[in-house]
Formats: sequence, structure tokens, C-alpha cells
Amino acid sequence: MEKIVDLTPVARPKTAAPWSRKSPQFKLYASLASVVPAAVALGVIALTGMDFMAALFIVFLPIQVIAAALVGVSVYGRRGILEGLLVVATIFLSSFVFVLLGSVIWSVISNGFAALSPSFIFQNNYYIQPKTSLEYGGVGHSIVGSLLIVGLSTIVTVPLGLATAVYLTETQGKSKGIIRTLLQAMSGLPSVVSGLFIYAMFIASGITTYAGWTGSLALIPLMLPTVARVTEEALRLVPVELRNGALALGAPAWRAFVQVTLPAAKSGIVTAILLGVARVIGETAPLVLTTFAADRTNLNVFDGAMGSLPTYLFNYIAFGFDESIQRAWGAALVILILVAILFISARVASRTRTKARK
Amino acid sequence: MSANAPSEKIERRKLATKPFARADRIFFGVSTAAAYSSFVIIALILIFLVGRAIPAFQTQGIIDFAFGSTWDSAATPAKFQLGPMLWGSILISLIGVVIAVPLAISIAYFIEFMAHKTLAKVVTTVVDLLAAIPSIVLGLWGAFVFSPIAAGWAKMLNQSMGWIPIFDNPEQNFLRSPFIAGIVVAVMIVPIIASITREIFSQMDRDIINASLALGGNRESTFRKVILPTAASGVIGGVLLGLGRALGETVAVLYVLNISFDINWGNVLQAKGGSVASMIISKFGEANPDEISALMAAGLVLFVFTLIINSLASYIVAKAQPWRK
Repeated sequence: MEKIVDLTPVARPKTAAPWSRKSPQFKLYASLASVVPAAVALGVIALTGMDFMAALFIVFLPIQVIAAALVGVSVYGRRGILEGLLVVATIFLSSFVFVLLGSVIWSVISNGFAALSPSFIFQNNYYIQPKTSLEYGGVGHSIVGSLLIVGLSTIVTVPLGLATAVYLTETQGKSKGIIRTLLQAMSGLPSVVSGLFIYAMFIASGITTYAGWTGSLALIPLMLPTVARVTEEALRLVPVELRNGALALGAPAWRAFVQVTLPAAKSGIVTAILLGVARVIGETAPLVLTTFAADRTNLNVFDGAMGSLPTYLFNYIAFGFDESIQRAWGAALVILILVAILFISARVASRTRTKARK
Repeated sequence: MSANAPSEKIERRKLATKPFARADRIFFGVSTAAAYSSFVIIALILIFLVGRAIPAFQTQGIIDFAFGSTWDSAATPAKFQLGPMLWGSILISLIGVVIAVPLAISIAYFIEFMAHKTLAKVVTTVVDLLAAIPSIVLGLWGAFVFSPIAAGWAKMLNQSMGWIPIFDNPEQNFLRSPFIAGIVVAVMIVPIIASITREIFSQMDRDIINASLALGGNRESTFRKVILPTAASGVIGGVLLGLGRALGETVAVLYVLNISFDINWGNVLQAKGGSVASMIISKFGEANPDEISALMAAGLVLFVFTLIINSLASYIVAKAQPWRK
């Protein structure tokens, strides 16, 4: 009787990951290498009272590099030195970005908080001189102006961006590639150019004087790429079966889009709008060139000078007195709060989208 | 494909049909029109800027306008020449890109290949947040918080490496230099480069990375020999996009740079530099009609520059992301 040899290879268990297997010895070294240098540096600071930055660069980093290189050598031999360097460099540079962001946010919050008060948020700037103390006057008119200007450009941009996204996802159009490239290129349009464009088109040619709506127009080219691209992503995430099902049931394309695709992509589109608004709410250069900052509250976008948060900030930095800089920090904090609200709402909207999909 | 099989010459049925209902025709017509609106916007920008810029080009001469180095609206005839600003913009963007690229690539690498999932999510959010900070807020921070610190760094650079010509600074004033403006610009473009690099990294074939590791490669050799060559073109596209953004950066640079028409060829620590965009906004308020025309011409130069770089960049990025179709 012939002996049957089973030649099928042993199946690799799904959970096996030979590339991530590390010996206990390596784990010990790695944890030592991540603790010891920091401990040494802290010890040096505590004992000698060295400056923190100096200790970071003179004591901590060299020891950390040597320790990481030693761990690398223990696993890979001599070429492990570079491995150690890579790990240290990556983590150090990434934390540097964290420190930068932290510094920006902390300085705006700590400096701006002193200026923030109900009167600063609700009052307008009429009768206020650059050196007036902070109890009087505020950014109320600018908040209203910003919301109106950005609101008007949102009303124009969102349908435009949505329709562009429809062209990119729902149609068989031939120039999809070039339009996508153009949108990407437009997202890098210098904001000052957008302002110059509207100035040349409407104000220099005498069609209108400075008004809120010219500012809204100047924001459209900056907002459109964000809205169109994020909406496109959202529409693309809708399963093809859904829209094909609608088409197969005899619905015309527009009805399939309005009643099936659009509701399915609703939260994604909300995210697109919010991100688009967040992109332009702090844009300064176009508004400086196309709107004229007013001190009074103006509720009419189509007539008269209109203040907005970025132009307020721009003017008060330019004054250069202590009080005006203080107001500028306050306005910066207000802008940052608005951006944070938009950003968090966008996150929440996209989270509900992923939940619904499960 | 069908060219290889001449024997089976079956006419393929066209599956795409033209919309026949009138409502559908309107629906597709509207969306096509909207899609072409981005063409229209770009064309309108070009037309109007060229229209306003022509007088300046005529009086100044194109070559003189681009490369000369005097800007004087009071002189007769008034002289408007962009040279120092153009070179300053390029210098600052290069400094910004040189600083931002290592930061962006390491943060993308950290998110995709090193960090635990939860931590990676947090870091991604932080990078997105950094992208959402308006440039004027960064300018305020740069002027009042960051400049003094960076001036300290610049002084250290000057004292330790002052013998290299680019770190020379006879005036010993380290504020408002291209170096500081470059760092602020770097902060602005790190998120752009990082998010594109991260996307390229995340779509890489995990099997080749795991194969490299399983064959005994370490992180460094995998990064250098597998990840970077595969992702290179996408990363370069991202860097170019960042460069385009850096060239157009306006208000953030305005507050941290001493704009000077005395050309600064490369002494990055000296307190004089130039930036086309910031110059436009700083001169615009008190400009007479002739100067406005010159500023329009400057804007046109900036626009054409960034449009070329950005289109090239988006083309490269699109090529590097075939999964986007």
C-alpha cells in the first residue's frame, strides 16, 4: 500500500504576523531605551537647574539617539544604528509639530481670554479709538459681518460645488480628469489674487463701491475646491447598487440622485459645507481688498461698508498699541472658536455617517 | 486590448446611453455647466488681471518689471519693479519647504507605520486642526510669540555657523528675517504635505512592506528602500502643492518679515526680504491708480506662477493616486 504524503503546506494562522514578532529581550531593551534618557535628562535638570531647552538638546537627544542605536544594534547588528536614528527622528519631529500647534493655540487662548467679555462679543466698534480700554466696544459688528459675508458665499458656492461633484461622480463626462486637476490647483489659489480679481472686476471698474457682497464673491474661488472635493468623496462612498437599483426601477437620473444618492450622502455633504466655511472664515487678504471695514453693525450685505473678523484683526494689529493688540488677540480667539465649532461639527457629522454605514 | 484579438471582431455594444428625458438633460446640463465654472473662474481671473495690468507693463516694460529692483510711486516717472519681491517669495518658500518636508514626512510615517491606531487618529486630527488655523492667526502668533524665540535660534545659528555666507548677519538684528518667515510658512504647509503623504502611505501595498520586514529588513531599510521609492512621486506632488501654497502666503508673512526692495540674495538671517503677496496687501491701501495697476501686474505674476506649480503638482498627485480613478 502506497504511503500518502500530505504535501499541502501548513496553513498560516490568520493572526500570525512574522514581521512584527519581537523577542522579549528586544522588548526589554526598547522599554529601557524609552525611559532611561528622559529620566537622565530630568535628573540633570533637577540637580543642576539647567535650562529646559538646553537640557533637551545637549543631554536628552544625544543620550536618546545612542540608546535607540544600541537597541537597533542588539537586534539587527551594525545596520541597526540607522534604525535607532529613524525612530528617534520621527518621534522627535512629530512631537515638534505638536509643540508648535500647542504653542499657537495656547498663546491665542491665554492672550485672548483677557479681552473676552460679553461686551467684547456683543458690542460694536462705534466711537472706539485704538487706545480705548477694553471695557468698551467689541467685535459684535465683525461677527455679524463675517457670518453674513461667509453666509452669502456659502449660498452661492454650495450648489455650485454640489453640481460640480455630481458631474465628477454621476456623469460620463469626458473632462473629469482635467476638472479634478483644476480644482486641486484652485485650492492653492493665493487668497490675495482672489481679492485682486474681484477688485479689478467690480470696484476698479466702478460697478460698485466697497460692500459686503464683493467680499463674498472674493471668497467663492477659495471655497469652491474644498466643497466640491469633499462632496465628491461623499458621493463616491454611496454604494453603486443603490443608485443602479433606483435607475433599474425606472427612475430618471435626476430623481435617482435627489431621492436616493443625496439622502445617502447627506452627512458627507454637511461635512463638506462645514469644512468649506471653516476654510474661508479666517481669510483676510480678499476681504481687506474688497470690503471696507466699518465700525457700525451693518445688516445689509449689498450696501455699505461692512466689518468682518479678519479685517478687524488686520486693522487692530496695524494700530500697534497695547490695547489694540489685546483686542486683536481677542478677535483671534473668536475666530479660532468659530473654526473649532465648525471643525467639531464636521467631525460629528462624518462620524454619524460612518456609524450609519455599519 | 481588443487589438490583440483580431479574430474576434465583435462590435462592442455601447452601454452608456444619452439621457433622453428632458429633466435628465437639464440635470446633466446643469452639472456640466457647474463643472466648467472652475474653468470660467480661472479664465475670468486671468482676463481681469491682464486687463488691469497692461498699463503697468506698458509703462514699465515686462523685463524691467519682473527683474528690476526699484519701487517708487513718488518718482517721475514712477518706477515699479518686482525683482526683490519675486526672489524673496522664492527664497521664503524654499526655506519653508526645506523645513516642512522632514516634519511632514515624519508625521505621516508616524501616523501610518508607527503609532497605535488611537494615537494615529489623535495625531491626524491635530494635523487637520493645524490646517484649519487661519493664516492671520498664525501671523499674530508669529509676530508676538514666535519671532522672539526664533530670533534666539537665528542668533545661535549665526554664532555657531556665521562663517557660512548664508548665515552671515552684520547688523545683528535677527527679527523679521526670511528665516523666521520661512518657519512660519513651514507651519502653514506642513499639514498640506503631511495629509497627501499620509494618504499615499496609507494606500501602499502592505504586503511588500511586511515582506521586507519578514525578510529581516528593519524599519530604516524598509523606509529607505521600499516605502520612499514607491511613494516618491506622490510625495513630490504634495511638496509642490505646499510650495504653491507657500508662494501665495500673504498675511502670515506680512507680520514676520521686513519687506525691503533692497534685494537680499541669500543672507537668510538678515532683517530684509520680500514676498509678492505680502507686498501687494501692504501697498494696496495707499496706492494711486498707477501703483494699483502695478500691483495687479504683481498679482498676475503670482497667479501665473502658482497656477503652473499647482497644476503640475495636482497632475503628479493624481497620477500617483490611481485608486481615485
